[in-house]
Amino acid sequence: MTLGDVMIFQIDFKSGKPVYLQLVDQVRYAAASGSLRPGDPLPSIRPLAEELRVNRNTIAKAYTELESQGVIETLPGKGCFLKENNSPFTKQVKNRLLLTEIDEAVVMAHHLQVDRDKFLALVRERLDYFERKSKEEK
Amino acid sequence: MNTEIPVIEIKDLHRRYGRLDAVNGLGLTVHAGKCYGFFGRNGAGKTTTIKCLLNLLRPNSGTAHVFGLDPQKHEVAVKSRLAYVPDAVAFYPWMTVRGTLEYLASFRQHWNQDIEADLLKRFQLDPNQKASHLSKGQKTQLALIGAICPEPELLVLDEPTSGLDPIVRREFIETVIGAYQSGDPARRTVFVSTHLISEFEGLIDEFTIIEQGRELLTMEADAARERFKKIRASFPSELKLDLPGALKVKRAGREMEILANGNSEQLLAELKSHQPEELNTESLSLEEIFVASKMLKQSA
Repeated sequence: MTLGDVMIFQIDFKSGKPVYLQLVDQVRYAAASGSLRPGDPLPSIRPLAEELRVNRNTIAKAYTELESQGVIETLPGKGCFLKENNSPFTKQVKNRLLLTEIDEAVVMAHHLQVDRDKFLALVRERLDYFERKSKEEK
Repeated sequence: MNTEIPVIEIKDLHRRYGRLDAVNGLGLTVHAGKCYGFFGRNGAGKTTTIKCLLNLLRPNSGTAHVFGLDPQKHEVAVKSRLAYVPDAVAFYPWMTVRGTLEYLASFRQHWNQDIEADLLKRFQLDPNQKASHLSKGQKTQLALIGAICPEPELLVLDEPTSGLDPIVRREFIETVIGAYQSGDPARRTVFVSTHLISEFEGLIDEFTIIEQGRELLTMEADAARERFKKIRASFPSELKLDLPGALKVKRAGREMEILANGNSEQLLAELKSHQPEELNTESLSLEEIFVASKMLKQSA
């Protein structure tokens, strides 16, 4: 099995986001869009580190983070797999996590002079997009 | 093994050549399991520092300890736990690839035959080829096999990829990550001095920039990329805006490019108050940080 069968990662050192968090976000994105489904294996650390030419510690850190977020699980001797979508967070924590992200987008919209209706339309469009993509993958 | 002891600990190191201070009060600490970048211009004192770690040179003053030991007093104890790949590698010309590896292995207590076979195959090196017939790239590959097979706790690389073609450089770095680093990650430390910073970007956990024999900047790579940012802004009309907090400001008509040193939020807020048409931010790469570090010195 080649890495491409599992998923393709993209690293951007200029994004200002720590590399391990970029990996975390990409796995979460792949899970949300359905391109990675529960039970799917994640690439093992060594070949992924070699392919991306990043420190293996960085990959290990990303997987540890994903595991603590409940996104993946490690089966000893077998590797890491995407978990069923059972978020371990309470509703309150979920809301708080989401709010920070939403606030950031709202502030950005303000600076870009995107008004309320356009912003909400965009949110709807993205929700539809992920829903559609997730269905297609199934 | 006590992991509390840093793998490399350099304190107030001085080394002079005649009246020239090659290393002039350098200090740095490398912890186990890290990949540490050592960046500096030609003549900044990188190789001199590395030679002090390997007891190829004696410091005039200060200390350069490896595994908590003084390499001058415990040369064998230190060297048996590390491997070194210099920028120019030389082998006995009459020896074959196989003969060279056997010769190198004879100095080592431990030698991983599986890694040796894997890497010979990966690099497509003919074990019966004479060392004198190898290309520069193949010599470096042979040196890397010789450095990785003993599975040392510390790998010291001094400009390992300079002068090599892009494919050999790529394979070199992949090998350091794969064959070396994956073995026993907590006990695999890399100390690499290089000019080709962008190639090692993803590998570097922490780095020191050395300038005229002194430490100019030591940071974790992620923190450095967070701290140094490039902001591009364009305004409806030319703006006489003074940004005293910026590391550097470049203007071209209605456009500005600003280098931020840990204060990008504040600079962004200031720029936003002037209603820019466009405003975007990106992190500097480690190579750009290295180039920008010159300005740190001027502003300090």
